[in-house]
Amino acid sequence: MTEFLKYVTLTVIIGYVVLLIVFTSGSTKPFQEIEQGVENSIDTEKLEKSDMQALKRYYGLNAADYAGVMLYTSESSMSTEEVLLIKVKDDGQMQQVMGTVERRIESRKNDFEGYSPKQMQLLEEAQVSVRGKYLFMAISPRAEEYKAAYMKSL
Amino acid sequence: MVFSSITFLFIFLPVILVLYYIIPDKFKNVVMLSASLIFYAWGEPLYVIFLILSILFNYVCGLDIGAKQKDLRKAKLSLVFAVTVNICFLGFFKYYGFLMDSLNAVLPVNIPYRELPLPIGISIYILQAISYLVDVYRREAEPQKNILHLGLYISMFPQLTAGPIVRYIHIEEQLKRRTLSTRRFGQGAVYFITGLGKKVILANSAGNVFEHIWGLQAGHVSVLTAWIGCISFGFQIYFELSGYSDMAMGLAKMFGFEFPKNFDYPYTASSISGFWKRWHISLGNWFREYVYIPLGTGHQGRSRQVLNLLIVWMLIGFWYGDSWTFLFWGLYYGILLIMERFWWGRSMKRMPSVVRHIYTMALILIGWVFFFSPSLGAAVKYMGVMFGPGASGFIDKQAFFYVTTHWLLYLTAILGSSTAGYRGIRYIIDSFEDGRAKKAAASVIYIGIFLISIAYLVTEPSNSLLYFKF
Repeated sequence: MTEFLKYVTLTVIIGYVVLLIVFTSGSTKPFQEIEQGVENSIDTEKLEKSDMQALKRYYGLNAADYAGVMLYTSESSMSTEEVLLIKVKDDGQMQQVMGTVERRIESRKNDFEGYSPKQMQLLEEAQVSVRGKYLFMAISPRAEEYKAAYMKSL
Repeated sequence: MVFSSITFLFIFLPVILVLYYIIPDKFKNVVMLSASLIFYAWGEPLYVIFLILSILFNYVCGLDIGAKQKDLRKAKLSLVFAVTVNICFLGFFKYYGFLMDSLNAVLPVNIPYRELPLPIGISIYILQAISYLVDVYRREAEPQKNILHLGLYISMFPQLTAGPIVRYIHIEEQLKRRTLSTRRFGQGAVYFITGLGKKVILANSAGNVFEHIWGLQAGHVSVLTAWIGCISFGFQIYFELSGYSDMAMGLAKMFGFEFPKNFDYPYTASSISGFWKRWHISLGNWFREYVYIPLGTGHQGRSRQVLNLLIVWMLIGFWYGDSWTFLFWGLYYGILLIMERFWWGRSMKRMPSVVRHIYTMALILIGWVFFFSPSLGAAVKYMGVMFGPGASGFIDKQAFFYVTTHWLLYLTAILGSSTAGYRGIRYIIDSFEDGRAKKAAASVIYIGIFLISIAYLVTEPSNSLLYFKF
């Protein structure tokens, strides 16, 4: 009985790992390729590409620490729209970046709570995705569209 | 979730402690296991399912080995199957990407592959599972019939993500019965607060200095600055790993468990072999017990001993990370240990203690260069700066800046990585004659460390998590 059960359990584990590969795995494409795929969908009338100083200012992260960084922010200070794409070098960095992104979203909610329901809704509906070494975040009315472009480019 | 986070310190831990202490003894393991799975799922909602399936697999395999013990050959085959599957799990998640990248580097074609993130703690809980299976096969432990007990051993949150790697036979009895007391709880709190201070105050601060120096432009780094960077990393990794081990020991005590010590002031060692008897003790013990001894102990010829040591140290290097630099780092220590054992170990013992200590620290620091460098080329480049050829000079304003602005950090780090720190605290506490005054002094010191740690956590954005790479 135990002989049979161990093969059954192993089969279930292998099946689960296959599901993980299909639905959560990342990509080994170069960062520039993924970045290009996302940038092609971004509304550049509302969002402008930010420099790495902005990454430090808004997220407290040093761009040089990561394999690739792309950040788009809104030109208007009254808008929460942002698109972030980061490729980490190792999994330890991913935990740190995820924590930073969560804190960023919370911080923006604190900034807009009480006087801009529209921006609050965008923040509530923010799209965050981690696939392998890639983290993607979009706060925008078109967040789902940007996320779809990101997933397609992986 | 990590121990050094506000969520853990002020929400998760207090709630679990209260639940654990008010619930009857027969349900304490359920509370602990549930808490461990929630703790893991907090950071890894997908991989908690893999952890649960792994527990189930190893539970069934342990029973299978136990059922076949009358036939040694069948029991051995069952063990080999179970251990091989566990190693394949670890190999796939941790080394698959490295293997594919290495193949793609030499092949004329690029093989695409999908990479999965490394499940947190897999390097710890897979080794613990193997420990259980081998201990059952060797009849040093009974097959665990209670899946909750085995699940708790494999997934216990105090040691799940960063160790120590606890051998099953050391915890078997504690899973069934353990005692809680205010004294033990107090000791646990002291260990936990000490570990928290080590990680949040010392490791993070030293890590910030290292990150800054590592980020300096090539050609603008002096010899002294490079050494300060390397020393900073040495302090960072020691205080982070030992800090987490102390927190794990402290949490274990609070819940009635006793974990073995994992770090014993390794930077006070006066030989490389002495260093490795004090650094990550549980890992060294695991490899000795389950790899080195089965390969054949020291009763064989010298060449076989050398080969076995090289194999073990390659594996230890690989355990720390999936890259050629870690393999090289492991081999580096393997070769040094072989040299000490068979060549200069005896003559070293005749040297003055300070010379032995300088020799040991120099070799350890050089080893850390391979550890923190992303490639062998980068490691060689950094060492070039440390020893002159690639440096902008021997000393510069940067070096002077780091020394003058961080002298307190380095002084505290030096005291903290030797017994002097602990003896200093004990001296202050013991200077009071009255028992109540001693307790008050101890409370002030440890509450002070705790409050300073919280202040650092709240204000310091950096919270490096080196052990997430393991």
